[in-house]
Parts: sequence; C-alpha cells; structure tokens
Amino acid sequence: MCIGTAALTSPLQDYLDLANTVMLFLLAVLLVALRAGRGPAIFAAIASVLLFDFLFVPPRFSLAVGDVQYGITLGVMLAVALVTAQLATGMGRQAEVAARRERETRSFYELARDLAGAVSTEQVAAIAEQFMHAAGGHATLLLPDTSDVLSVTGDGAGEVAHFEQRLALVAYRKGEIVAVNALDDAGHSVSYVPLKAPMRTRGVLVVTAERRSRSSHEPMDAMLSTVASLVAIAVERLHYVDVANNAQMEMASERLRTSILSALSHDLRTPLTAIVGLADSLTVQKPPLPEAAHETAAAIRDQAARLSSMVTNLLDMARLAAGNVKPRKEWQVLEEVAGAAVQLLGRSLAGHRVAIELPLAIPLIEFDAILIERVLCNLIENAAKYSAPGSAITIGARLEGGFAHVSVTDEGPGFPEGRQEEVFEMFVRGEPESSAPGAGLGLAISRSIVEAHGGTIHARNQAPRGAQVTFTLPLGTPPEIAEEPETDSWEAQRG
Amino acid sequence: MADPLPCVVVVEDDRQIRRFVRSTLEAEGCKVFEAETGQQGLVEAGTRKPDLVVLDLGLPDIDGIDFIRDLRSWSEAPIIVLSARSTEADKVTALDTGADDYLAKPFGVAELVARVRALLRRHSRGSEGSAHVSFGDVTVDLSRRSVLREGQPVHLTAVEYRLLAQLLGNVGKVLTHRHLLREVWGPSFVESNHYVRIYVARLRRKLEADPAQPRYILTETGVGYRFQL
Repeated sequence: MCIGTAALTSPLQDYLDLANTVMLFLLAVLLVALRAGRGPAIFAAIASVLLFDFLFVPPRFSLAVGDVQYGITLGVMLAVALVTAQLATGMGRQAEVAARRERETRSFYELARDLAGAVSTEQVAAIAEQFMHAAGGHATLLLPDTSDVLSVTGDGAGEVAHFEQRLALVAYRKGEIVAVNALDDAGHSVSYVPLKAPMRTRGVLVVTAERRSRSSHEPMDAMLSTVASLVAIAVERLHYVDVANNAQMEMASERLRTSILSALSHDLRTPLTAIVGLADSLTVQKPPLPEAAHETAAAIRDQAARLSSMVTNLLDMARLAAGNVKPRKEWQVLEEVAGAAVQLLGRSLAGHRVAIELPLAIPLIEFDAILIERVLCNLIENAAKYSAPGSAITIGARLEGGFAHVSVTDEGPGFPEGRQEEVFEMFVRGEPESSAPGAGLGLAISRSIVEAHGGTIHARNQAPRGAQVTFTLPLGTPPEIAEEPETDSWEAQRG
Repeated sequence: MADPLPCVVVVEDDRQIRRFVRSTLEAEGCKVFEAETGQQGLVEAGTRKPDLVVLDLGLPDIDGIDFIRDLRSWSEAPIIVLSARSTEADKVTALDTGADDYLAKPFGVAELVARVRALLRRHSRGSEGSAHVSFGDVTVDLSRRSVLREGQPVHLTAVEYRLLAQLLGNVGKVLTHRHLLREVWGPSFVESNHYVRIYVARLRRKLEADPAQPRYILTETGVGYRFQL
C-alpha cells in the first residue's frame, strides 16, 4: 500500500508539494488501519515515513536528512501516522463490538418476545433451551414445588442427564450463580443460574456450555444473568396468571358451595320446621290429648328439634371445614354474648344453675358475636349434657398475655383422662357409646371458630371433679368511646 | 277492642308450616288468611287490612325484602319474619326495611304465640302508648322522665335515657343496632355498633337484677335488642 502510494506519488513530485505528498501517505496509513487492524497500521506508518524520507526528502534516495526542517516534517509525520493508526483501529474494534452487541441485543429481544408469548412453564423451558442451543450450550429449567424441591420442567430432561440438586439449591437459596467447571471427558462447564424475579427467586436455570467458551467467561456470565432474568420474569408472570386463574376458580366453586349449602339448609329445615311446629301444636291442643299421645307428640317435637340442630351443626361444619368462614368481627361486650348464649339455650338448661362470672374490667373484644355465641352455646350445652341436673355451670374469664381466656366449667365427671385434645376432632365424642345425644361436632366447630379468630381452645379436668373448656380471644385496642359531657347528664327524677 | 278478632295474613310457601301457623294463631283467636306466594300475599294484605303479617323470607316468587318494602309503603301492620339460619344477614336487612320481629326456623308454638301477642298488643294500643311502664322493680314515667328502682330514683345520662325510651317505645319489637344508633345517637354514628353495646350494658347494670342474664333488655345476637315485658 505504502509502496503503491510511493509509486503513485513519485511521478507527480514535480507538481505536488512535499506537504501534500505527506498527506497522501497519511491517507494510506488511515486506510490500512481501517482495513487491516493495528499491527499492519503501525508497520504502514513507519514504512510510510521511511519511504517518504527515502524517496522525496532531499537528498533523495537516501535516508539522510539534508535540512533540519525535514526532520520536523518526518517526526510529525510519524507521530500523526501512529496516532491515526491507533484511532482508526480502535474505531474498527468498537464497530465490531457494537455489531456483536447488536446481535446479542437482537437475540435477547427475540428471547424476550418468545418468552412473552409463552403460556406454560414447559414452553419457557423449551424457549430457554432453544436460545442456549443457538449460543452453543444447553439450558434446563428447574422449578421448585411446594416443598421447595427443584425438579426439571419441560422435556429437557434428556439434555442434562444429571444435575446436582444440592448445587441447584445453593443457587436457589442464595440467589447467586454457581459455576462448576467439571473435569469430565466432555469438558463441559455447568452453571446454576438463579431466576431472580421482582418478587422472589422463582427457580434455577442450569446451563451447560462447552468449555472453550471459558475464555470469555465474563461476558458469558453477564449473558447468563440476562437470560436468567428474562426467564425469571416469564416464570413469575405465569405464576401470577396461575394465581389469578386459581382465585377465579376458587371463587366460582365457593359460590357454588355456598349456594348448595344454603339450598340444602333450606330444604332440610323446611320439613323439620313443619314437624317441630305440628308436633308442638299437638301438645298444646285443646282439649288436651291423652297423656301417652301428648308424650309422643312432645318426643317427636324434641327429636325433630335435635335433628335440626344436628343439621345446623353439619352444615356449619361443612362451611367451617372449607375454611371460608370469615368472622365478621365487631367490638363486643363479652358479658352480653355470654348472656345471649344462655338465653338462647333456655329450656335445655332447665335444671342447671348457670352463673356468668365475668370481671368488670374486661374490655371490648373484637369477634364475630354470632360465631362466639355458637361456641359458648356448644360448651354450655355440653356442660349441661354431661353433668348432673341441679349442678352449677360457670362461665368465667380472665385476661392474660394479650388474650381473654373464657372458660366454661361444669361439675360433671370431666373428660376421659388423656383424651382432652381428641374431643376437639370431628365426630369424636368423649364417651363413644354415651347415651347423651350428639354427633361429636360441637367441639370441632368450636375449635374451628376460635382458631378463625386467632385463638386456641383447650379442655382440662378440674379437681376434684368437673370439666373445664377454655378458649382464648386476642385482645386488641378497643375503639375510643366519646363520653357524654357531664353537663348533659341530669337527674332522671324531677321533683 | 273494636274488632274482637285480629286478622292475620300468613305468607309461606310450605303448606305444612302454613297449617301449623294457622292452627296456632286460630287457637289464639285470630282470623287467618293464607297466601302461598308473595304476590298473593300482597293482594291478601291489601284486601284484608290485617293486624299482623307473618312472612317467610324465602318465597319462591319475590324477595322477602321487596315484599316488606312494598307492604311498608302503604301499611303499618306489624310484620313477623320467618327465617332459616342461613339468612342471618337477610334478617337484619328485613328488620331495617321495616319488619318488626323474626323467628328462626324451626320454632315452637310458644315462641310464635309470644311474638304474635306482643306485636298485636302493641298494634292495638296504637302509637299513643302508656306513659307508665313497669318491669321488675323498675318504674318509668315517660311523661315526667323519671326512672325509679325500688322506689329510689335512678340516675341516667341523656343518652341512656334516650336509649331506654326507644326500647320502651317498641316493646316486643327487635331494634337493630343501626336503628338504635340512628334514633339515639344520630345519623353520623351509624357504623359505631359498639356504642349501643356499651350503653345497653350500662342500662342493664342500672336496671336489671342480673345484668349478665337480663330478663327485659334482651340481646338478639348479631341483630340488635328487644325489650320484653
């Protein structure tokens, strides 16, 4: 190139200034730098200076320099040529890097686009594998199950025959890339890349690559992180799609269950209401029935009423067991709910002395009055059922450790020793063959209700006799009560 | 009494329940008219001008709440609602819409009779009411705003007195939390049910022999209160 330039310029030397000849040589160096890179460019720079000196600088055809002026020309020419070579090759490399970046960005873009269209994690796994395949490796997607065990998703199982669950878990838990440069025959390096999504780590991408790519380890890692975050976002998106779908399905089945339960409740209760009512009207008939018939009518009424309360229990248990009873909590006066429970039981408590002994200092407690009334009814009813008529049933309460401990105590024989916890299971009764009526649902319902309120329920025996069931309700911060200004109050009596 | 036989319309779709309610009410000396559907019930109520309506909330044709709203637009007759347990929320809505009382299914003769008597008594007495009310060892003179317990004056705050007056003015009727808040505290308190509970507890302490097991100011859990003589 330089020689070409020299050959081209030498015939023109009579017409060209020396300065312009220098320019032509510099142009040649620039072209070499752009085309051939750094080494040849430096060589061309030096060669140009030498040729210029040899051919054009007087005395011509010698490397000697006649005038000091030309020494400066040569020096500047060399410097400019070298700098030009340097800059031009740098530019060329940058262009190359830019081109590679563009290719990468393009492939990431395509990956992102493909992932955005994925509708299942299997598809995500396939897309990741496809991408890594193009980059000369393999990718396997590991997703955790509910107990955080990572397993292969998609049909990529064949590609990575074995991966180390342990290493994958380290990557998953710590959220860091774990790279293994195995020394096996295949010479593969395996990287466990955590899938860090905005909300949490969603899984691990196992990438197997040929070891030749190890030289460019740094950009490889950066590339893996990018791929991993794209995959992670896709997996998270699918996760939330799943969550939304499940929520919708749950709502639909919830609605169905509720409507079945209330239809069932209505259909069962209607005939029971008729039986209770008709039998009851026989007992009050005038003129009164013969005594035997009267007794029969009363028995029919009582049995139907019991059947009805069992139906209620079963339906309530179905609701509670489905876990979708949300207590409608309001700030309640415990004494009032205890009193209402006793009042509700009314007739069935005949013969028992029920005492409500609550300390005056009990604050308002936030709970669902209907549900807690239910619990109290169940406990009082049980107490009445399993203790002798005439004995006392006491409803008490104390405050301790941020909870109100509400207890119902009787003077009966107590729970069978060692079975105090079992009685809270469904269909478990203290004495299986007991003549006392019931299906063993009362305490199970009570426990579900109390637990839905964030409390606990326990049974224990009192010394020397008697059973006590205690449940707790969390104490909150009761709302302020704006007291009436004292000036508004007045003596009710006037004169 | 102007009319010796009070007239009752029973709106209930189940024939057997209707039969039992009818026989119970007739034993009480009522004239009973039955309706199987809501539409029919409204027609019966329009023609018979009843002293009381017994209404099943789960009617096949129209919503019980709509029935009450419709009836209330032209009739003051007390309404007893029959409700299944699954309709707790409907019960409150029914009462807030204008029903006077409710009975949870299944119910017995005694319960039905007690409710019917209380409402008929109140209805026949009309709105003038009696200035003197006595229960237990308490005597209230509404005209003189005096409350005596065992002959001794009882100190009530203004709110407590207003609450007591509401209860006494609606003997036998279930008053919802919402109703009491509106009438005693004013419309801005409608979401503060705990006020009612606290003041009812205070009233019971001052007027009931056993405030924990009241005999007169009764709790209707999840619904409201009822003053029972």
